[in-house]
Amino acid sequence: MADILEEKVFSTLASVKHIPQEKITIDSSLADLGFDSLDTISLLFELENAFQISIPDERARSIRTVREIVEGVRALKNGNSLKPSSPG
Amino acid sequence: MPNRRVAVTGLGAICAIGANAAEIWDSLRTGRPGIGPLTLVDTAGLRMVNAAEVHGYDPAIHFTPSQIDHLDRFAQFALIAAREAIQDSGVAWTDELRERAAIVTGSGIGGQSTQDAGFQDVYMRGRDRVHPLTIPRTMANAGASHISMEFGLKGPAFTLSTACSSSNHAIGLAMQLIRSGGAEIAIAGGSEAPLSFGMLKAWDAMRVIAPDTCRPFSRDRRGMILGEGAGMLVLEPLYAARARGAHIYAELAGAGMSADAHHITQPASAGPVRAIRAALADAGMQPEQIGYINAHGTGTIGNDATETRAIREVFGAAAEKVAVTSTKSMHGHALGAAGAIEAVATLLAMKHGILPPTANFTARDPECDLDYVPNTARPARVEAALSNSFAFGGLNAVLAFHAL
Repeated sequence: MADILEEKVFSTLASVKHIPQEKITIDSSLADLGFDSLDTISLLFELENAFQISIPDERARSIRTVREIVEGVRALKNGNSLKPSSPG
Repeated sequence: MPNRRVAVTGLGAICAIGANAAEIWDSLRTGRPGIGPLTLVDTAGLRMVNAAEVHGYDPAIHFTPSQIDHLDRFAQFALIAAREAIQDSGVAWTDELRERAAIVTGSGIGGQSTQDAGFQDVYMRGRDRVHPLTIPRTMANAGASHISMEFGLKGPAFTLSTACSSSNHAIGLAMQLIRSGGAEIAIAGGSEAPLSFGMLKAWDAMRVIAPDTCRPFSRDRRGMILGEGAGMLVLEPLYAARARGAHIYAELAGAGMSADAHHITQPASAGPVRAIRAALADAGMQPEQIGYINAHGTGTIGNDATETRAIREVFGAAAEKVAVTSTKSMHGHALGAAGAIEAVATLLAMKHGILPPTANFTARDPECDLDYVPNTARPARVEAALSNSFAFGGLNAVLAFHAL
């Protein structure tokens, strides 16, 4: 079940892309949801505002899925290390 | 190359006196100004209180929410006017024509409202970031780029900026592109949306804004009234327009450009004189052929007297017979969009055989002694017309239209 943070990520995704929130699942990729590069930087901006965080560029570049966003935001909110998740 | 005379086959506009060319014509014909209290910004802390806003504007009527995210108000106006002009022209696009289609737009300040909002976030609200679409919304070529994307137009496309002459320079250069064979069709005009708080403070400081309304050439004129909007023309080679049976508003017969090389804001008559003469020479016309001049006519003390002297110098005795009106008295001064909106006004005047008046005119000024068609439109068929734009920076551009 979606927690508050996840819910807020979903609503941010929906409002940036002007799509119904029901379209978004934790396993959606940004590409599936129609995000292009410009949509993605708008999303990062709105996430930073919504969660009062600063998303570093190297982390931003590796985001592909909603799950990665939720985990990334949670890590930043928890003050975890800002290192990108394990390199591919 | 065949003789590539240039025809105007479509027009579109949006400004304070109408959301399309038909509405604008209705206001021009009846001499109805669109000047009123500023509503787009809080006027507390501003000296100016009036402007010529696009009234009742709702972007959602024209664009999807995603499009609105990407479009500053000035680019929205550009697209709206271009859509109308292209529709009006009835052009049938082919892949080949799209690749030979030029877009030349003018804008004095581009998406400054977007930039202004971003700077307010940073400087006033202490935020450490601005919206990531600030750059693509602010860039002055956004209007041209969005027109290109919406219609798939792939020929030469660019934006130029010469303050209040931007549109006339744009239309003049588009004409050259058609003449030279650099394009087979062109969308040309300009757009502006300068009514953001920061810009208005800057205009306040110039002390050229009227506290009441815009009264061009009138003795009690007190300055200009800022406006906003867009105008776009569709230009084609005359033979091509005739071959496809297009409705032709007029021939864009010439353009004249000059620089004052004098002062960054103070008007001088020598530069305008040379631009008007150059437009006439380019069109192969004599002053006696011109029945109507859509004046730059900003309503400032300096411009209107200087422009009057310039017209007298070029026209000589013919100055007694030419009607000179400033439609800025109705749609305000839309800066980089002014020339395009006024080209639309001029072409509609030629089409309908009615000269729009200079509105808000109260009393004659000894320094402004031409026929300004005060307050009431006048039925008159004209053979040819000029549309003047003289910018801050001393950069002048004059268009010459000839009836067909």
